[in-house]
Amino acid sequence: MRNLDFQKLVPAYVQGFESYQPSKPDPELMKAYGVDHLHRLNNNENALGPPPEVSTIVEKFPVKNVPVYPSGDCFYLRQKLAAFYGKTPDRFLIGNGSCEVISSVIKAFCEEGDNIITADQTFAVYEWVAEFSGFEARLIPLKNNRFDHRAMLDAMDENTKILFVCNPNNPTGTYWDTETMEAFLDEVDNRAIVVIDEAYFEYVEKEDYPDGMTLMERYPNVIVFRTFSKMYALAALRIGYLCGTADIVELVSRAHIVYSVNTLAQEAAVAALSNDGTFIRETLDMVGEAKKLLCGLFEERKLEYVCNEGNYLMVKVPLPDTLMYRMLMRKGIMVRTMTTFRFPNWIRVSLVQRPVMEAFCKAFVEVLDNR
Amino acid sequence: METANRSISLRLFADSSLIPLVQGAIEQAASVFGMSHQRVLKLVMAGEEIISYLAQTAHGGEVQITITHGGWCVIVDFSFEAAPSDLWIINLAAQKKANSGQEVEHLGLLLASRMMDRFTVRLKGRKVHLELRLDYEYLVLQPKLVRPKMLRGPLTIVDNPEPALIKEACAAVVNQYPPYLVHTAFFTPGKTVDMVAGGYLDMIVAVDEQGQLAGMLSWRAPSQNSISFSGPYIFAEGDDVARKLEMHLLKRVGRGNAESLFSDLATAQLVSENFESLGQIEFLQEDEQSIQMAVWFRLLRDDAGGAVWAHHDIVEFLEKKYSDLCLMRTIRQVDAAGESLPERSVFSTRLRPELKEATFVPMVVGVDVSESIARQVAALREDDYRNIFFHIDLASGWQAAMGGALLENGFVPRILLPKGGKSDVVVFQYA
Ligand SMILES: Cc1ncc(COP(=O)(O)O)c(C=O)c1O
Repeated sequence: MRNLDFQKLVPAYVQGFESYQPSKPDPELMKAYGVDHLHRLNNNENALGPPPEVSTIVEKFPVKNVPVYPSGDCFYLRQKLAAFYGKTPDRFLIGNGSCEVISSVIKAFCEEGDNIITADQTFAVYEWVAEFSGFEARLIPLKNNRFDHRAMLDAMDENTKILFVCNPNNPTGTYWDTETMEAFLDEVDNRAIVVIDEAYFEYVEKEDYPDGMTLMERYPNVIVFRTFSKMYALAALRIGYLCGTADIVELVSRAHIVYSVNTLAQEAAVAALSNDGTFIRETLDMVGEAKKLLCGLFEERKLEYVCNEGNYLMVKVPLPDTLMYRMLMRKGIMVRTMTTFRFPNWIRVSLVQRPVMEAFCKAFVEVLDNR
Repeated sequence: METANRSISLRLFADSSLIPLVQGAIEQAASVFGMSHQRVLKLVMAGEEIISYLAQTAHGGEVQITITHGGWCVIVDFSFEAAPSDLWIINLAAQKKANSGQEVEHLGLLLASRMMDRFTVRLKGRKVHLELRLDYEYLVLQPKLVRPKMLRGPLTIVDNPEPALIKEACAAVVNQYPPYLVHTAFFTPGKTVDMVAGGYLDMIVAVDEQGQLAGMLSWRAPSQNSISFSGPYIFAEGDDVARKLEMHLLKRVGRGNAESLFSDLATAQLVSENFESLGQIEFLQEDEQSIQMAVWFRLLRDDAGGAVWAHHDIVEFLEKKYSDLCLMRTIRQVDAAGESLPERSVFSTRLRPELKEATFVPMVVGVDVSESIARQVAALREDDYRNIFFHIDLASGWQAAMGGALLENGFVPRILLPKGGKSDVVVFQYA
C-alpha cells in the first residue's frame, strides 16, 4: 500500500489556513494560572443566565428523549419564531449556533472566483469561512470604528455574492442607523445578498436602530442572523438562526446540515422566547450599570475606550494585550485579547454583574500600577 | 517561496567518479539562472566539497541534488536518507572510527560553507539536507550623511511598497543607522526588492503627505508560528511614526498563523509598550567590538500555560524568566538517568559566514554529547567564528537534557524565546 500523503489531497486555501484555537476549559486554565476562580469576561455571555422558563426545560429534560433524534428542521421552534415575528415558519433556518448558518449561506451562494465583503475589524467567522472555502474575503477597514458603507459598495463587483454587516458590530458596538442601512440597501439594489448579523439585537435600545426583520419585507436580498447565545444565554446549547424570504431560506437549506440542532437546544429556545421580556430588562440594567462603572475608571485613567451597543466594551491598554491577559488571569479574570481582531493592545470586556465588574476594576488597576 | 518551476534536480550515487557530473550540473544550472561566472565557480567548488565528502563518508548512498533559483539566490540542496547510526556524518566536525580504531576527522562541510552566504544542515524526517545558498551579486550601498527631514501632513502606511520605494527605504536605513542594526539585505537594495517580491520578506513604509519617506519596518516568518522583525527605522522627525508602523505590523500579523513576534534587530525607536523585553544578546563584530542587542517580543495569542522540560542547572534561569514574563509553566526536570542513548550526537547547523555566526539545534543527543559540542565549537573557533549559539526547544525532554553538557562547555543561557519553537526556546551562547 502507498504511504498516505494527505498534504497532497489538501487544497492550497486550506493548507494556508490556520485552525482556530479555542481557549482551554476553565479548570485547565485555573490550574495553569494558579487561581481558584475565573470570571469569564471574554465571550460576551449573559452572566445572569437564561430566563426562568429555560431552567425548567433543562432541569426536567427526560433521559428517555436522549436516544431519539431531534426534529431535523426544528419544527416547533420555527413555529414559535413565526408567531414571535409574525412571519411564516418557512422563513427560518436554525443552526448549531449562528456560526453554522454563516457557513450555509456562503456555501449556498458562492462558487469559485466569488467574493464576499465585510469589515476588517469585526467578528472573524465570515472571513474565516470564506477563506477556508476558497473564496476571497474583501475586508474593508472600519471608519471611525463603524462599517464603511461607501467603501463596501465601492468594493463590490460582479463576483460579489454576499455583504456581511455586523449590526451592532462586535467588537466596537457601533451600528448603522435606519437611514444608513436603507441607503446602503438601495445602492446594493439586489445585486448581492446582504447579511445583517444581529447577534446583539436585544441589547440595542436606540430609536434609530434598524430592525432587519422589518427591512427584509422591503429588501428581499436581506438575510438576518440572530442567536440564542448572547441575550438568551443559551451559548452552551449552540443554537442560532437566520431569517429571509421563503425562497432564499429554501435555497440556503440545501447547503445546510439537517439534524445539527439538538432537542434540548430546540426546546430551550422555544422556552426562552416565551418569557415576557422581564429578564431582558434586568440584563440591560446590569449592562448599563457595568458600562458606567468601567467607563468612569477608563476616563479617570485617561485610557482610550470604545463603548457603544452590546454587552461588551473595549479599552486600549499601555502594554501588549496578550500580557494584560496573562496578568489578569493571575487574578482570576479572563478578558478577550484584541490583536486577533486587528485591534492590537486593546482588550474586550464582557459586561456582567457589579461585584464581578468591581473585581475586574481592581485587578485592572493593579496590573497597570505594577507594570 | 514558489520555486517548483525554477529548479533542476539530479539523482546519483555518492561516488567520487561522479564529481565532474555534479560540478557540471551546478555550473550549467547556476549560469542558466543568471549568476555571474565568478559566483558560479564558488558554488561549483562548494558543491564539489560536499559530494566528495559524501563519497567518502556515505559511499554508494543515493543522493538527490536540487539546484533552485530562489529569486535573489541560488540554492543547491543535497539530500539523502541516512540511518540513525550514520547521521554523525552531518556534523560540522565529524569523527569516524576508522577500521584501525583511530578517529578520522572530517572538515569538508565547514570548508564548503566558507564561500557561501548561508550553509544549513538539517534533518527532515529521515532525509538529511545539506543546503548551500549563494546570493546574486547586487550593488552594495555605502552610507551617506543625510539630514533628517521634516514631515508634512498626516502619515500614510504603504503596505506593498513598489521597488523604488523599497530601494529608497534601504538607502535611508543604511544612511541613518549603524551597520549592526541594518538587516544585511538592506545594504543591497536590489536583493531586498527581490526578497520582497519572492515573499521572503515583508515590508511596510510610512510616507507623509508629499510622499516623503518617514519610516520603515520589515519582517519575515522564520518558522510556521513565529515572526521576526527589523526596525522600526525612523527617517524623519515627527511623532508617532514608530507607533504607527508597529500598530500596522500587528494588524497585519494579528489574525495570521504566528503565535509570537520577535525582534531580529530592534532599534532604539521601538515603542516599548507594544512589546515585552527578553533581555540582551551580545554580538562580537569583525573588529572585536561587542554590541548589545536588545531582544523584544510579544505573543499574538492568549497563553494557556503548559509544561516545559529543563535540565536542573537551568531551572533557576527559567524560573526567573517565567516569573518576569508572567508566563505560566510547569518546569519538569530531565536529567541523564543512565538510560541508553545513541552513540553519537547530531546537531543541525546554520552558518552565516559573513557575520561569523553559527547556530546549532540538536537533532540527536548521544552519549558523546559533551565531546561533540567541544569538537564542533573548536572547529568553528578555528574558523574564526565568534558568535556561537545553541537553540534548545523545551518541548523536548531529550533536547532540554543537553543543558548540562552546554554549561560544561562554556555555554550560558542568555535568552528565553517564548513559543520560539514548538514550545519555548532557550538560546545558549558560547561565552
Ligand atoms: C457578531 C456575532 N455573530 C455571531 C456570533 C456567533 O454566535 P453563535 O453562538 O450563535 O454561533 C457571535 C458570537 O460571538 C457574534 O459576536
